[in-house]
Amino acid sequence: MGLSLPYGPAELVSQLLVGLSRSMILFIVCAGLSFVLGVLRVPNIAHGSLYMIGAFATYSLSILFAGSSGFWIALIFAPLVVVLVSLIAERALFCHLYQREHLMLLLFTFALSLIFGDLVKLVWGAEYRSVSAPGMLKGSISMLGSSFPRYNLFLIFIGLVVAIALWLFVNKTKIGKISRAAAVDRDMVGMLGINVSWVFAAAFVIGCYLAGLGGALVAPTVSITLGMDHTLIIEAFLIVTIGGLGNMWGALVGSLIFGVTQSFGVLILPQFAIVFPYAAVVIVLLLRPKGLLKSVW
Amino acid sequence: MFKRIVQPKWLGSVVAIFIVLLILPPFLPRFFVYVLALIYVTSLLAMSLNLLVGHGGMFQFHHAVFYGVGAYTVALILTKTSLPMWVGFVAGPMAATIVGLFIGWFCVRLTRLYFGMLQISLGSLIWAIVFRWYSFTGGDDGIHGIRMAPFLSSLNNSYYFILVILVISLIILYLVLKSPFGSTLQAIRDNPDRCAAVGINVRRHQLLAIVIATFFAGMAGVLFVVLERSVFPDLLFWVLSLEIFIMCLLGGWFTFAGPILGAAITVALRTFVGIYTEYWTLILGIILILLIFFLPEGVMGYFLEIFKPQAKEAAERRE
Amino acid sequence: MLRVEGVVKSFEDFKAVNGANLAVARGEVVAVIGPNGAGKTTLFNLITGQLKRDRGKIIFKGEDISELPPYQICQRGIARSFQIVNIFPRLTVFGNVQVAVLSQQRRSYNLFRPAQKIAVEETKSILQSVGLSDKGGNIAGSLSHGDQKILEMAIALGNQPELLILDEPTAGMSPEETSATMQLIKRLARMRGLTILFCEHDMDIVFSIAQSIMVMHQGRTLIQEKPEEVRGNEEVQEAYLGGE
Repeated sequence: MGLSLPYGPAELVSQLLVGLSRSMILFIVCAGLSFVLGVLRVPNIAHGSLYMIGAFATYSLSILFAGSSGFWIALIFAPLVVVLVSLIAERALFCHLYQREHLMLLLFTFALSLIFGDLVKLVWGAEYRSVSAPGMLKGSISMLGSSFPRYNLFLIFIGLVVAIALWLFVNKTKIGKISRAAAVDRDMVGMLGINVSWVFAAAFVIGCYLAGLGGALVAPTVSITLGMDHTLIIEAFLIVTIGGLGNMWGALVGSLIFGVTQSFGVLILPQFAIVFPYAAVVIVLLLRPKGLLKSVW
Repeated sequence: MFKRIVQPKWLGSVVAIFIVLLILPPFLPRFFVYVLALIYVTSLLAMSLNLLVGHGGMFQFHHAVFYGVGAYTVALILTKTSLPMWVGFVAGPMAATIVGLFIGWFCVRLTRLYFGMLQISLGSLIWAIVFRWYSFTGGDDGIHGIRMAPFLSSLNNSYYFILVILVISLIILYLVLKSPFGSTLQAIRDNPDRCAAVGINVRRHQLLAIVIATFFAGMAGVLFVVLERSVFPDLLFWVLSLEIFIMCLLGGWFTFAGPILGAAITVALRTFVGIYTEYWTLILGIILILLIFFLPEGVMGYFLEIFKPQAKEAAERRE
Repeated sequence: MLRVEGVVKSFEDFKAVNGANLAVARGEVVAVIGPNGAGKTTLFNLITGQLKRDRGKIIFKGEDISELPPYQICQRGIARSFQIVNIFPRLTVFGNVQVAVLSQQRRSYNLFRPAQKIAVEETKSILQSVGLSDKGGNIAGSLSHGDQKILEMAIALGNQPELLILDEPTAGMSPEETSATMQLIKRLARMRGLTILFCEHDMDIVFSIAQSIMVMHQGRTLIQEKPEEVRGNEEVQEAYLGGE
């Protein structure tokens, strides 16, 4: 369990990059969670399961469409599979609960997570799966004296794209602005003649899409297993909290803190790498219990 | 008009149930004895949570941590040291209480939701450490084959021990709820600002409630080890915290014994559905959804609603 | 007994209280009046600690209580009832008052004796003095509004306060309930030797039971005098007639 030797700048930068790419996946997932939390005021516990479904669907799709384009097809369609699943759950069941207390909605998302978890087991079984990155993203680039895995650079790029897209969506599109308004005052939005139920459905679906996208993106970097939903949802939940509830930029800040502290944890005490981000979360919450950025409410 | 505290009527039936449960083991197959004992352990855990959630109105979102701390403490003492078993049994709840006090001290400064979030983060940190500290806590695998004193070596004896501890704990919890502290706690649940205006140091009362609740959670952890002879990190995982929360909700959290009902239903369901299919989580999820749509007050709440008109009539007739 | 000196409280840009002064002598019945929005409830919240003042002093029995949290202010001997009914809806009427009595007797940490048997006499006597004895077993949430306002008062009495602060005790009551409450307050002042500070919109009550009246307008204290002087004061008449 020894402490590691001091690292040179090349290793530090390399780990920083790994941390950033991990943060980007977390950001995509947490932005979705935060968005739903902001609009519906309910933490979607099934968010982790949808992430898992995204990863498993990516596996299946990339097997189905073997060859280097398989991954790209999966990247596009796996999140759509997740959207389909969440849409079914929303239209059939969830939308009838919007008038109920938040506790009931929370329980419903928990029940969904139980059901989705077992559905994944049913469809894909309990074995580990893996997906390989497409040809053009395999391997590393040499830069600044060390090698950077191409896939990590890709993840950072995608993360920035998603961040910009989300910013445009929330600030420039009609649906986005309505969602933001509904997060702050849903009664007012209803009084303006907008069907609040549709706003909730749209927000929920967008959030679930992001969960699926995160799952698809993470697929080449980890072993895809049952139980990845449970680990992810608690991390996402904590990230959303330290960022500020419902605040998507907070989700970015939180994800960066989480991902980067974990990478540096790997450098300092590899066996306990996962403890570092949890400790960082505790420190943030002790100092700023309501999160670093303002919550949407 | 001012009702008596203990109605002789239902005291009789409670004692009768206890006697029945006490003499059951010789008549039941081993498996059922095991399931009952597991229900007792889980009930104690759920009851300890409900003191804070149902009666205290606190957002105790990661109560499983104290259960796990109690279990791991006794496991570590019994496997890493040669101290007698009783030391472990006492140390378990004490360790849980100390951790509870520590976490609680930070949490009571915050309002409800943030109380819960801070607790989840602190609890998850503890889970992460236990999960990774392979050399000390067994990490992912946990600790197995924990020794017990000879008198606890049989399942039936463990059953009796667990049942007795459960009953004593329930009596204590009942007395606490009916005491002045219990009334004050429930008043804090209903209106903490009014309590402050009436001279009550809300934080200190909440801390005392946390101490009691985490003590019994740790005790439940010890009983778990008595039954299972092993510990693993899942005992500290957020999923278990949410499950016991749901047990309280399911059973009806404004009642005294509701959590016991919730625990019994959940454990029984998991065990017996698990015999027929490995997808019992799916079934549990479906049942939960049915309950959300059809029985929002929890099972016991539902029964109380049905039986309330009759009980009210009976009470009026008596007066 | 209670002195408020130059207290100021702002909410962002809005000065809710802007120079309030008040003096309450032991055993007095003092009323605070003023048009809506004059800052009366804010002033009470500042005295009992729900809000913290920006400037000024609040001194009770010679001690500066401006910085204390509400529960400590209550323990020093001030109890209050709230304008908007603020009871424990799920507890019984008896239980509501008992919470205050237990707190007063420092028995709220008592773990092992049944609450039903503790502080019963004291609680019953309070219920009797406000006229709620026959409703002791009722769930507080099911009472009529008027009875809930009286329960508000009863809870405050449970603290055996030296200074009882009542925030619009008859708000929302019918005329019969109002006059009954008026009599009740008079009785309490005499019987228990209480010092009472209250605010009201109903001028009949104010002028019939208050020994000293403080008039507030736009967060400031205009005057504090005996009722006859207040009645004839020009500034007061202008404040009430000109505007709201």
